[in-house]
Amino acid sequence: MIALKFTVNQQDIEITVPDSMRLLDILREELNLTGTKEGCGIGECGACTVIMDGAAVNSCLILAEQCQGSRVETVENLEKDKILSQLQEAFLENGAVQCGFCTPGMLMSAKALLAQNPHPSLEEIKTALEGNLCRCTGYVPIIESVQKAAEKLGKDAK
Amino acid sequence: MKKVRKFDAVPKLNGSYKFLDDYTRPNLLYGGFLYAKFHHGKLKQIKFPKKFSKDEFTIVSYKDILGENIVPEPENDQPFLVEQEVMHYGQIILGIAHPNKKKLKQFIDNIEVEYEEMPAITDIEECLSDENNVFGRVLEIKHPAEIGNTSHLIHTKRIYRTPHQEQAYLETQAMLAEYDKEKKEIFVLGTMQCPFFVKSALDAIFGDTIHNSVVETSEGIGGGFGGKEDFPNIIAGITALLAYKSGRPVKTVLDREDDIQITTKRHPSRVEVESYTDPITHKIRKLNIDYRLDAGAFQTLSPVVLSRGVLHASSGYAVEDCYIKGRLFRSNTPSNGAFRGFGAPQALFAIESHIDNVAAQLGIDPYTLRKKNILKIGKEFPTSQPIIENHLEDCLEKVIEISDYHEKYREYKQWNLEHKVKKGIGLSLGLHGGGYTGNGEKILNSKIKLVIEKNADINIYVANTDMGQGAHTTLAQMVDEAIEHPHNKTRVVIPNTNKAPNSGPTVASRTIYIVGNMLRNLIKEVKKELGFDNLETYVKAHQADFPREFRSLFKPDPQAIFDDETYKGVAYKDYSWAACVVEITYDPTTYEINLEKCWNVLDIGETVNPEIARGQVEGGVVQALGWGLSEFFYKKGFGRKQGFTDYTMLTSRDIPELNIEFIHTDNPIPKGLGEIPMDYPAPALRNAFLNATGVGIDEIPLTPEKIFANLEEK
Repeated sequence: MIALKFTVNQQDIEITVPDSMRLLDILREELNLTGTKEGCGIGECGACTVIMDGAAVNSCLILAEQCQGSRVETVENLEKDKILSQLQEAFLENGAVQCGFCTPGMLMSAKALLAQNPHPSLEEIKTALEGNLCRCTGYVPIIESVQKAAEKLGKDAK
Repeated sequence: MKKVRKFDAVPKLNGSYKFLDDYTRPNLLYGGFLYAKFHHGKLKQIKFPKKFSKDEFTIVSYKDILGENIVPEPENDQPFLVEQEVMHYGQIILGIAHPNKKKLKQFIDNIEVEYEEMPAITDIEECLSDENNVFGRVLEIKHPAEIGNTSHLIHTKRIYRTPHQEQAYLETQAMLAEYDKEKKEIFVLGTMQCPFFVKSALDAIFGDTIHNSVVETSEGIGGGFGGKEDFPNIIAGITALLAYKSGRPVKTVLDREDDIQITTKRHPSRVEVESYTDPITHKIRKLNIDYRLDAGAFQTLSPVVLSRGVLHASSGYAVEDCYIKGRLFRSNTPSNGAFRGFGAPQALFAIESHIDNVAAQLGIDPYTLRKKNILKIGKEFPTSQPIIENHLEDCLEKVIEISDYHEKYREYKQWNLEHKVKKGIGLSLGLHGGGYTGNGEKILNSKIKLVIEKNADINIYVANTDMGQGAHTTLAQMVDEAIEHPHNKTRVVIPNTNKAPNSGPTVASRTIYIVGNMLRNLIKEVKKELGFDNLETYVKAHQADFPREFRSLFKPDPQAIFDDETYKGVAYKDYSWAACVVEITYDPTTYEINLEKCWNVLDIGETVNPEIARGQVEGGVVQALGWGLSEFFYKKGFGRKQGFTDYTMLTSRDIPELNIEFIHTDNPIPKGLGEIPMDYPAPALRNAFLNATGVGIDEIPLTPEKIFANLEEK
């Protein structure tokens, strides 16, 4: 067992979990944050993507110990975060949500991109989302949404 | 037609929408399966690992089945659980449950299965080329004509092959089952397309032991694409058996690896096409098609896939003398099942590739050959069903225009002479019959219900599920727009077999086309019967009459007659039509194809919700291009794909620029939409490669390895 101290969506978390527990399970089972989904369990599909210390990571590949002292952000942080809520708006506006299972992970990858690179090129967007599989939308409206959110955020910043 | 947002988009965007794994129950057990990891053999012994106390686990084998060990299907030949003989890799032997997920997995992983191996057919080619493997009914469509001497005609005979395809819905298959001892009732919550199929599976596996079974879908269904049409029957059956035996709720959520190993795939195909074409008029005078599918170890619903396959085998072409034969072949791969397109993508890959092969042989461009032979008014399908509109030709003309096909066709010829990296442009036609084949809808006899509540809300009760395709938004929209009722006061209630009548499965591009039209007609009849202008005002004035329930039944068109014995008549009352152009670049150094652009023109009739309709086309086209470019599941000498690591689907970096247009949207009927985008893009991609290189490869996927092998051969 390991005693962890870290933050999730700006909230301090203190929790003791088995060493081998994955961040994904800590979120879903211990903290009841079920917005983060498991699609493959081996870091290939990106459905479980969360942001850890600013970077998009597959939470199925992060073990408990790696969470120590970190800042984790999940889709549930959406309403509190400007970039995330702008992305949500754009996804909604562009019909980028079909089954919705990849959506939380897509949002987190997109948010990590825009936080680091507010004006990404089309290629940069495609690359940032490359690790997130979607079988419903063909990616087209998702990529458009990220472009539009970036434009909107750029305008707001001016 | 107005912009209506999907009702579930916001909860999906904030993570609050519940998928099956997000549900829990007090005292919950986790369910899992022990499945065969060999292709064919007799079970000798199952050895449980000694380091676990077996008593902690609930275990069900075929001996625990209280009713019948046969999954109800169009062809009832598949057991829920293996009895003695394992027929395919992935066939389920035991259902096992335990309170701890991790311990359950370790236990299952350490069970040893001893067996006597038997000869197995696992290679698609071996399966499909040996006529001894045929099983089930042979289908024939005969459209004979005396065309006289064929010696002056151009003879073209080729064999086309397509691989397994995994549906790869992002949410794996999952079920939660509970048994109420007092009521003797099984309740199953799950991610599925067909709640009433699952209900009949439960009734089969329990027999008279239970009084009732109730099936409901989870809030979110993370994609289906056909994969959640019939296989959920097995998962639900075994999970419910575990709940019955343990007396506790059981939740089974498949790991991705297990899901890929044990669930159904798209049928691999081998289609032989032989044609005789007039070199002067460019008319295809005679066409023989031998359409074969690898059904897997059991037939299950394959006969229905075969039927749709042969009915789409001649694509959008009118041929005087036409003969189509369809057969299922047996193998020891998992039973192949439903997948968006349902036999049509295999059929269209063959014929649409063949058209380009014939054009190349004639030395004419592929557009001209299509134009000369296209179905139009005055022509008929091989079933003798008359063509009543020229919309397919309109799709063709439009896609040629918007893609600037002729200009590019000329330009790339020159470009390819001068450049190392080649450019190619390919064309295909597509068509898809809406709803069940032939008399299928008549037999299904769908029922729908709506309830107008005291506050004038309209609750729609149907069995059709929203697996992301937006069906519930669109169905509600059809009802509220028909009477100009506020959209936020109309909703589809989560499908539950105790509450909703059986409006049939969520398959066959039938949800909007059949069920939506029924709902629209019903609400219009209600309006007429009650005589209101504004429903809210009416309900306010007649409070005592509400809530009030209205029901209706499917009314078949008496003119649409199909003879299932002779395969003559109206196979599908309404066809959707499409034409597609794919543009690629090809790098001969790496043998890699890059998808550049893809133009799609479709006639799906009315587009109730244009944004949702566009989404269906985008997703379907990308799924189809993946099938054409990189996806396959099993290959002799290569083995099976294990999961998302080696099963390569297109990512955001691989997709082409998409252009989508709908035409003839003034048709008052929304026709089938879900499947057609999967049907036609793969041959357009293949034809673009032919255009770029002069090499026609009659098999997909067009991986660099396959291209290399084909070029080496030539």
